[in-house]
Amino acid sequence: MGMQFLFTIGGLPVAIAVLIGKKFKLEKSPRGILYGLAVGLLSAAGSFAFFGAYHSGGNASVITTVTGLYPMVTVVLAVLTLHERLTRSQILGLGFAAVAFIIFSLG
Amino acid sequence: MHVAPWFWFAVAVLIAWGAVGIFQKLSTNYISAESTLVWLMAGFLLFEPFIYPGKALFHYSRHSVVYGVLSGLLSTLGAWGLFAAMRYGGKASIVTPFSALYPLIVVVLSPFVLHESVTLLQGVGVLCALIAVYLLST
Repeated sequence: MGMQFLFTIGGLPVAIAVLIGKKFKLEKSPRGILYGLAVGLLSAAGSFAFFGAYHSGGNASVITTVTGLYPMVTVVLAVLTLHERLTRSQILGLGFAAVAFIIFSLG
Repeated sequence: MHVAPWFWFAVAVLIAWGAVGIFQKLSTNYISAESTLVWLMAGFLLFEPFIYPGKALFHYSRHSVVYGVLSGLLSTLGAWGLFAAMRYGGKASIVTPFSALYPLIVVVLSPFVLHESVTLLQGVGVLCALIAVYLLST
């Protein structure tokens, strides 16, 4: 958890630089803000669940492999909720990506 | 049927991180990549009080502090690029898997920086990742 704390501290200067660059004037779209906050909250919640999986006695390589497949969940959700379409070669690319994620997460 | 507790945590990770890609795309549909980055950090900061390590923080080695902060800095810069990719028309179903191929860089750099050796299996992984990058960008 200490590393996660430091990680956020490290990201702060970037956010502050962006705020200064935009002269502290951010777009006031409530939807944009809500979705942006959801990105932060879900990323952090996912990290906690990740550490939770390690601490509940799972095999590290299995956990990393399973969780490493999260981009595939995004793809399925994007097709279902955002109605995005993929070309045949992109679908093939996703297959290669899935194999790469599994190999990399095996360490 | 008994399911191990770690499995449910892993499923929670998949759902949370999988949904993140969708919310990134939705957010950049309404606001700029820069604004999304600011709100992402706001979301992160809400958790900070709960994960504050207390006095232990002052006993971390200088190296762990520097590397911890640096990884946050670089990841946030990377997130900025990711949001910009989505803002300028990138699909969540392409940008998210594409950006998740970052271990490719780790595998390529680690022999030089950390003096780790690359196994044959990892070599196959690098090849698959390169093919994936090419196909996803077509």
